[in-house]
Amino acid sequence: MPCERKPMRYGHSEGHTEVCFDDSGKFIVTCGNDGDVRIWEGLDDDDPKFITVGEKAYSLALKNNKLVTASSNNTVQIHTFPDGDPDGILTRFTTNATHVTFNSSGSRVAAGSSDFMVKVVEVSDSSQQKTLRGHEAPVLSVTFDPKDDFLASASCDGNVVVWNIKEQSQLISWPLLQKTNDVSNAKSLCRLAWQPGTAKFLAVPVESKVQLYERESWDHVSTLSDDLLTQLVNVVAWSPCGQFLAAGSVGGSLNVWDVSSKLCVERQKHEKGFTVCGLAWHPSGSQIAYTDTEGCLGLLDGLRTSTSNSTNTASKQAAVTKPAKDYDALFDDDDDDRVMDEGQSDTNSPVKKPIAADDDDDDDDFLMPATGRVRSRAILDDENSLDTGSLKLGQEKFGDDDDTGSGVVPAAPLVPLRPAYEGPMPTPPQKAFQPGSTPAHLTHRFMMWNSVGIVRDYNDEQDNAIDVEFHDTAVHHAMHLTNTLGHTMADLSQEAVLLACPGTDELASKLQCLHFSSWDTKKEWMVDLPQGEDVRALCLGQGWAAVATSALMIRVFSIGGVQREIFSLPGNVVCMVAHGEQLLIVYHRAPGFGGEQALGVQLLQFGRRKRQLIHGEPLPLSHRSYLSWLGFTAEGTPCYVDSEGAVRMLNRSVGNTWTPVCNTRETCKSKSDSYWVVGIHENPQQLRCIPCKGSRYPPTLPRPAVAILPFKLPLCQTSTEKGQMEEQYCRSLLFSNHFSFLSSSGYEIDEEAQSQSQKDQQELLMKMFALSCKLEREFRCVELAELMTQKVVTLAIRYASRSRRMALAQRLSEIALEKSNQIQEVEPEEEEEEDYSSARRPSGSGQSEAAQGRHSSRRYQEEEEGQEEEQREEEEGREMETDEASETKKRVNPFAKEAVSPVKTNLTPITKGGRANPFKVLGSGKPSSASGQPRVTNILDNMTTSRKSFPLSGPAGKKNKNPVLKPLAPRPKTKTQSTLLQMSGTKASNKKTQQNTQPAADTQKQPEAPPPASPADNTENKRPKTGFQFWLEENRKSITADNPDLEETDVIKEAMGRFRTLSAEDRLSWTERAKTGDAADLKKRKRAEGGAEGAETEKGQAEADENSAKKKKSLDPSSKLSAFAFNKN
Amino acid sequence: MDASEVEFLAEKETVKIIPNFSLDKIYLIGGDLGPFNPGLPVDVPVWLALNLKQRQKCRIVPPAWMDVDKLEEMRDLERKEDTFTPVPSPYYMELTKLLLNFASDNIPKADEIRTLVKDIWDTRIAKLRLSADSFISQLEAHAKLDNLTLMEINTIRAFLLDSLNCLYKLRSNQHPGSSKGQFADF
Repeated sequence: MPCERKPMRYGHSEGHTEVCFDDSGKFIVTCGNDGDVRIWEGLDDDDPKFITVGEKAYSLALKNNKLVTASSNNTVQIHTFPDGDPDGILTRFTTNATHVTFNSSGSRVAAGSSDFMVKVVEVSDSSQQKTLRGHEAPVLSVTFDPKDDFLASASCDGNVVVWNIKEQSQLISWPLLQKTNDVSNAKSLCRLAWQPGTAKFLAVPVESKVQLYERESWDHVSTLSDDLLTQLVNVVAWSPCGQFLAAGSVGGSLNVWDVSSKLCVERQKHEKGFTVCGLAWHPSGSQIAYTDTEGCLGLLDGLRTSTSNSTNTASKQAAVTKPAKDYDALFDDDDDDRVMDEGQSDTNSPVKKPIAADDDDDDDDFLMPATGRVRSRAILDDENSLDTGSLKLGQEKFGDDDDTGSGVVPAAPLVPLRPAYEGPMPTPPQKAFQPGSTPAHLTHRFMMWNSVGIVRDYNDEQDNAIDVEFHDTAVHHAMHLTNTLGHTMADLSQEAVLLACPGTDELASKLQCLHFSSWDTKKEWMVDLPQGEDVRALCLGQGWAAVATSALMIRVFSIGGVQREIFSLPGNVVCMVAHGEQLLIVYHRAPGFGGEQALGVQLLQFGRRKRQLIHGEPLPLSHRSYLSWLGFTAEGTPCYVDSEGAVRMLNRSVGNTWTPVCNTRETCKSKSDSYWVVGIHENPQQLRCIPCKGSRYPPTLPRPAVAILPFKLPLCQTSTEKGQMEEQYCRSLLFSNHFSFLSSSGYEIDEEAQSQSQKDQQELLMKMFALSCKLEREFRCVELAELMTQKVVTLAIRYASRSRRMALAQRLSEIALEKSNQIQEVEPEEEEEEDYSSARRPSGSGQSEAAQGRHSSRRYQEEEEGQEEEQREEEEGREMETDEASETKKRVNPFAKEAVSPVKTNLTPITKGGRANPFKVLGSGKPSSASGQPRVTNILDNMTTSRKSFPLSGPAGKKNKNPVLKPLAPRPKTKTQSTLLQMSGTKASNKKTQQNTQPAADTQKQPEAPPPASPADNTENKRPKTGFQFWLEENRKSITADNPDLEETDVIKEAMGRFRTLSAEDRLSWTERAKTGDAADLKKRKRAEGGAEGAETEKGQAEADENSAKKKKSLDPSSKLSAFAFNKN
Repeated sequence: MDASEVEFLAEKETVKIIPNFSLDKIYLIGGDLGPFNPGLPVDVPVWLALNLKQRQKCRIVPPAWMDVDKLEEMRDLERKEDTFTPVPSPYYMELTKLLLNFASDNIPKADEIRTLVKDIWDTRIAKLRLSADSFISQLEAHAKLDNLTLMEINTIRAFLLDSLNCLYKLRSNQHPGSSKGQFADF
């Protein structure tokens, strides 16, 4: 069976219960022995509203937002729905009423009582009562004819009687039931039900079957039964379309019959087998709510599918009836006046009867309530004929539905009569809210819970106060404010508390800012909004505050209270958050349909460069969900959570798309649990939220504890190794997006974390590569290799060649080549662009060393950077230190100071090119493919020499070369060597040289970096190296390997210690080396400086040479392949 | 062993705190602690939690078992069973005492919890006395008691050992003594 039986839940105390849906189907309403009427927003609603109607509630009926109950004080009362205010007593009996019911239009109520009487009362005027006497025992149940002519009742005397309401007379009586003396002794409640719409059949539960009696003829036309249904049927209910009949039995079975085919289409059993005593269909016909005598409430869901299962036509009918039904609900809303009319015309309306009588040829008179209104205006003939005319139209249109089932007919003719719209109805737009707040109707609630602190509101009779508490007490001490203005919204930042209250009739809506970080004595300001404009949402950025108002405006204030900006929003705001200079606004773009919200999002950036980053694009939400949280990660990436628990984050790398990063629902233990998100961090990846048991938001007491959830991208097959790695890789990429964003907007970034995440990504790629290799998916291997950096590709080549995949290795080497080419091409462009990113450069002086020291990490991180370029730069650095570099330094330093501590610098990837590169021409010179064959051999020779000796070899090779550019020539070799020739066994030495140079850089930088002053002096002072420094270069690695946790200064200390332990001879030899090294170094540098001017002239030629060399290296695949082939052997 | 020593051991148990300050990981001999993020729960040893609490640097999140419903259930079970039932924490008594003394404002229904834990403790100590009594009166050579906590063992140890020693002395004197007595009777 396709329908789903939801687990029962406790509804009322033990005893008779009844259930019904409200007109819209939004609420389930139950009454029970405890005298309460409970209004459930769904089966999972753990906190239903309740209305106490008496000591016991025997029966209830709900229509037109009027709730009629039969309670133990012998009255039938009305309450408003859903507010539950008493709305008078409808009628009284001498003993309690047993069953109440509305007629189809909701204008009348029928009540059966234990005092043998049935009363029919006008809802609008309770003095207009009709009493139907004739039963000889307590009345069990009553039901209205949908056409309002008749009324059927069942009684303990065993009779089921059909009454003519107007004449208050019995039409017919069937002795169908067992006689008892009281309702409590009756075996079955015998709830009758009249088919809605056509009113053709009256369903009477008789023992274990349901008998159908035809209207007018009052013949017993058919019996619905089921072999498995052996117990007495207690209640029956028609589906809203009239096609299906549901029955609940004493033994707890629930059956649904298709009336036209008399087939049982649905069988369910109460989970504990208790007696079902209340049964109601959802107005859409997709659900049945039922209650048992133990006070429990249950639900059958998904009946719609069973409908479509039965026949095609049935589903079609259902589709047709549904909108009409929806419309009915709307229509019912405005018939109060009609009820009045009808009430007046009721007693002497001669027209009614004839209309009712002629229904055997057509079904049109079900419209009587509607036509009745026209009639009461006494324009009888004309209007009537008009009506029938239009009816006929409708009849023709939907005529084919007639033969499949009568149930649909009522709906069909309704259509032409209604000029109004009848497509899907718009979803009620979600109200504006503050992310991180709990609903405003609570007396104790969170007004704001964010990463800074908590704002709580206590609003009970004696006190209305706001508590502000900071997570970090270093920000500010806790505050307690009396909430005299009745603030309902709040936001909290490191600088201020922003509060706002909606306007009242006398008072304008106010915005109050407690600017506690202000250095003057005025720590508070307040602003009145224009009359009629209410604050809907507010937020605090860094140094500014924004308010969205009911006039579709965003007002931006400075934190000190200056009005800065004002602009209009295209729709009603839903919520608004800020972070730093960014403002994220979500608003209603359009009415949503079918339960969906149509939200738009704008992301604006204030600060120096004001601009809009997201221009009101639609905000993707899960199906039928609404926005429940909006915010920025701690790193400043917008993200939000919808009511289905899906967390989405802005993916700036894919054109500001939204990527789902987590579904909190998956981690919930039970369906009614949820997580209330309070913050998101990208590094470390944390989703901070508060687990809420059985609700959507936490209570203020006991103080909820924050939990941390991991992120998980919903990729396919995450149970497999491949899927897991892919998920990790994608997640790592996504969560490192903020680095580039932050650096581009001039914030400091955690370089260590960045390089770590990049390393992780490359590692993951390598793992995925290995896995694909194992699975023999070479094409996939190549795809993965394309994502790798050049260095990792060389590893991949080695892996491939070791696992004897020569074809793959060959392809990979092509990729490696391509990558190195790309680097060269991209670089010149990059240099121009990177003007502002150069602000990131942390080290003021000693750039050359820094650059050198970072070779390895840089190559790792920036795929597009070639080593030769770096080295060229390194040269430049040395040359320019005196003039240009010092210039850039001045610009850079303010950032550098705040940005990075000296410890981090050696891991910092510097983005080069911040300074003007006098050798930029080199890039343009690259394409020239001169034949540098001799250079190749030169390079290969050079490879074997240790990199450490480079400063020495530099001047040596300078003889026939331009003094400035000469050192550049060998450098490209190291790059090609590292990328391509590692396989040939030189890798080890290459590695060593890198490591050697790197420490050198570090040690030199170390003393210099902290005092960023006087770069010119530095160049002179720092040059001479001591023997210790040389020794340190050699041994640094072993030291760091031994003590990986040591900080820079500690490393030096440690090294000092070790150096001292060396023998005197050793130390001497180191000093010797230092001297020679220094001399060479100095010489070279001097020449470099001197040659800087001369460089211009000689550059052209030099360039040609060296570029050709470089080109040779990187472009000549044969050398690469030969190396590769060599390795193979 | 002193009760204060047991308490000292109990202070090594971890408890969740919500710090209101920010601090990187700290590296201690007993292990790394932190990092401390304001508002984010972190597990720390009780000694540190109490120290921070006294300096008003954190709020303590009571352990899950320190809850009236759970303790009531435990108490009822403890009363029902003749043997010792498993306790929520091997240091339940010490932790209750420490946390309630120093952080009762962070623990909802502190008084009720105090009473309940005391009830459990009393029940268990009564059982312990009872079993000690039957152990001695039945002249058993050994007995096995499960689910005892260190504090409970410590409470009974001094008394039980001393009294057993005493008994042993008395008994060992009894045989010669009894014969003596017999002789004396003569």
